[in-house]
Amino acid sequence: MCKIQAIKRTFTLFLLIFLSSMVLTGCWDRTEINDLALILAAGMDKGKNNNIELSVLVFIPRPQQSGQGNEMSSGGSSGQSFVRSAEGKTIADAMARLQEALTRKIFWGQSEVILIGDKLAKKGISEQIDFWMRHSEPRIRADVLVAKGKAKTVLKAIPELEKDASIQLRKIVKSHIGVRVTVKDLLQMLSHTSNVAVLPWVENLPPTQMDKKKAIPIIKGAAVFKDGKMVGRLSDKETRGILWPRNEMKTGVITISFTGEEGSISLNLLRSHNKLIPSIKNGKWSMRIKTNADLEVFQNTTEFNLFDPNVIKKAEKKVVYEIEERERLVMTELQKKLNADILGFADEFEKKYPQIWKKNRDQWNEIFPEIAVSFDTKVKIQRTGLADEKHKRGAER
Amino acid sequence: MKNMGFRKKRGDTPNIQFKESMNSLPEIPLNPSLDINIDILKSAYKDCADVVFRDFSISSEINAVLLYIDGLSNTEEIDQHVLMPLIQLKNPIEGPIFERVKKEISVSDIKEFSTIPDIFKQISIGNPIILIERQTMGISVGLPKWEKRSMKEPDAETVIRGPREGFVETLRVNTSLLRRKIRHPLLKMKQISIGGYTETQVIVAYIEGLAENTLVNEVTHRLKRIKMDGILESGYIEEMIQDSPLSPFPQLLNTERPDVAAACLLEGRVIILIDGTPFSLIAPCTFSSLLQAPEDYYNPFYISTLIRWLRYIFFFIGLLAPSAYVAILTFHQEMLPTSLLLTIAQSREQIPFPALVEAFMMEVTFEALREAGVRLPKQVGAAVSIVGALVIGQAATASGLVSSPMVMVVAITGIASFLVPRYAAGITIRLLRFPIMILSGMLGLLGVMLGITTIVAHLCTLKSFGVPYLNSAAGLKLRNVKDVLVRAPWWAMDTRPELFSEDTRNRRREAENQMPSPEKGDGG
Repeated sequence: MCKIQAIKRTFTLFLLIFLSSMVLTGCWDRTEINDLALILAAGMDKGKNNNIELSVLVFIPRPQQSGQGNEMSSGGSSGQSFVRSAEGKTIADAMARLQEALTRKIFWGQSEVILIGDKLAKKGISEQIDFWMRHSEPRIRADVLVAKGKAKTVLKAIPELEKDASIQLRKIVKSHIGVRVTVKDLLQMLSHTSNVAVLPWVENLPPTQMDKKKAIPIIKGAAVFKDGKMVGRLSDKETRGILWPRNEMKTGVITISFTGEEGSISLNLLRSHNKLIPSIKNGKWSMRIKTNADLEVFQNTTEFNLFDPNVIKKAEKKVVYEIEERERLVMTELQKKLNADILGFADEFEKKYPQIWKKNRDQWNEIFPEIAVSFDTKVKIQRTGLADEKHKRGAER
Repeated sequence: MKNMGFRKKRGDTPNIQFKESMNSLPEIPLNPSLDINIDILKSAYKDCADVVFRDFSISSEINAVLLYIDGLSNTEEIDQHVLMPLIQLKNPIEGPIFERVKKEISVSDIKEFSTIPDIFKQISIGNPIILIERQTMGISVGLPKWEKRSMKEPDAETVIRGPREGFVETLRVNTSLLRRKIRHPLLKMKQISIGGYTETQVIVAYIEGLAENTLVNEVTHRLKRIKMDGILESGYIEEMIQDSPLSPFPQLLNTERPDVAAACLLEGRVIILIDGTPFSLIAPCTFSSLLQAPEDYYNPFYISTLIRWLRYIFFFIGLLAPSAYVAILTFHQEMLPTSLLLTIAQSREQIPFPALVEAFMMEVTFEALREAGVRLPKQVGAAVSIVGALVIGQAATASGLVSSPMVMVVAITGIASFLVPRYAAGITIRLLRFPIMILSGMLGLLGVMLGITTIVAHLCTLKSFGVPYLNSAAGLKLRNVKDVLVRAPWWAMDTRPELFSEDTRNRRREAENQMPSPEKGDGG
């Protein structure tokens, strides 16, 4: 009995010493939220003398309902965040400079958008991505975008609906209008054999007449990277073409019209599924892009009665043509002009023909433009809606 | 460990000795001389104003004395059924006087005794005694009567649906309440008296055949081991007989409700009833039973299951909410969704304290308010609640000392600890919250996990009367889960919960196939 108590006593003593030692260290990574400069978005630009200019969008934690109202109402231009930038040899260097000018510790944990200025993009981004992957604080799931002009100006934009550029860009990317690429995806694309990448392209909408100050960043197409350098751009329509095979096509309206007919039919995409089927026959490499899509009719301005199955068949055929047209358009651009395999053909070939792939890996750049691409698209118009065509005839009378 | 609270090591000087129970008094037999007996008793009850000695003579021939404590015995009945027949006894007495006297007393409960300590025992429980000249035996008459509180619904365990009666301070009333619920003779009630001065009557109730014999023996053994001056409440006994005296977790349940006690008896548990308190103890107790309310078994099983899950969730909220808040806000800011963090950052911007201090301040204030609310007289209670609402609400945030998310966390935590149906378990989570908060303030979520791990490890080692504390949670036998994860409908709860791994009891408590269905009907 006494032994047990003695053991207990020593154990308690050790526990006390252990606990007090934790209190006495005085140096742990505890930081109050009041001592953090929460970075909402970061921008990288090419600075002077081959430097990197790092711009950050910092959140101002101003209480929402402050008693002194006059201060708040006039605060318009600055809003709830501000942009600060600094130059340095590397991003880390620039960040250290930036820290000198901030009273609070820079905190990357909530930065969900990384913007790259087009000049830097053309110069090369591989070295800069290293920081975002290596540093433990930034999210590797942050979205990466390329900005037309300077990233800094895009960050400074104050959109109409959202509080700041960070939320604006994040939400736009989420809506699947363009491609969506995170830091992790980008790094994976860059470290792949084909070494190509595609990033969404951001432009500032021109200021409206009502408010000249406000500029709204929107996504317009995509930027294509090869060997870490931006080599070209895809237009909005071409970007849609790559969304289909990338399985990123989630929403969209397709409008078709028929020759010799007035009006057109607009269809909304319900769901789509895509598959890449590679094949090598007699040394000829070819790729079949298989697409299945379900659609519903949103508007019909033609005279066609959509309750007629023949009309539906005709419309489906037309939609297939439209989709394939877009895909064909972007494929020629990618194969002939940019020679950039951003759809991941290389992966598909590697999966199916690992032996052949191993032998030909080094010649991929020569093989890719020569691949014969064929399309196999199946479209189903699922819902035509309740309205029939009679009301139109009534209007004509 | 045996000596907890009663250390012989230090205070063991010869003249400072523990007062043993009356059972251990020397057995002085009654003297044939009535005067000597009276002298002994009078010197024993010196300066006891409430002890009544009434000398009288049976049929004016034989001297006798009636002895009782005023206020404990029914004086009217004594006069009518004891004194009057004896004094008015007319016929000259033939044969043994003792038997004759016993015949004359028209009271059902009559006992004989032959020693002085027996007298002390009998009159202290309210039985008047009669001593007769030249007799070495005395008679005690069962006529106790004292003021009792009337039965009322227990405040701590109210139900919407269920019986409204509760135990009272009187042991006999409590045993009768149990006996009225379980009428079978197999319901046994062993009586033990504990306490050197108080001589508190304690009853160990169990159903023979349902409760393990080893359990009953262990309970009685532990109760008999208690040697202390007095037992005034069940809490005294609870702390003296629990398995791990230093654990913050309750290892015996307590209840004021006869229906809960009866249900526990039917599950094969043992009830300890204590004179002088409406609280009875239930042994053994498992962790899952802390989160079961009596009403669970009276309401439809769907709602009972849902509410039980609500309790499980809020048990963790009550334990961890402030610490998780502090940990995430001071260590893991990246863990929150951006917009949530920005909102919290905005509200915290002007708060002068670190999150840990803020949380501590608010939690301590909340505990203080609650304690004040319990202790205060009812007339002042309203004032406390108004001040409390101001301190923990509007004024706190308006003054800029506390952020409003913190107020919410504290409020939810407060509500959560009330959601635990057993008050004793609620106290435990209130208590454990604070060390976890300190850990989280120092080590972040790592500290929270450290705290949880320690608690779970401790729970795993706990036992209540040989039954593992996490019994029904850890065993993972599907049959035991029916009253833990869900509250199975009554027709499906066909076996008693398993308490011991080697269960020798009959565990079936329903005939098979009890689910009602139209085919089974035989009427109309």
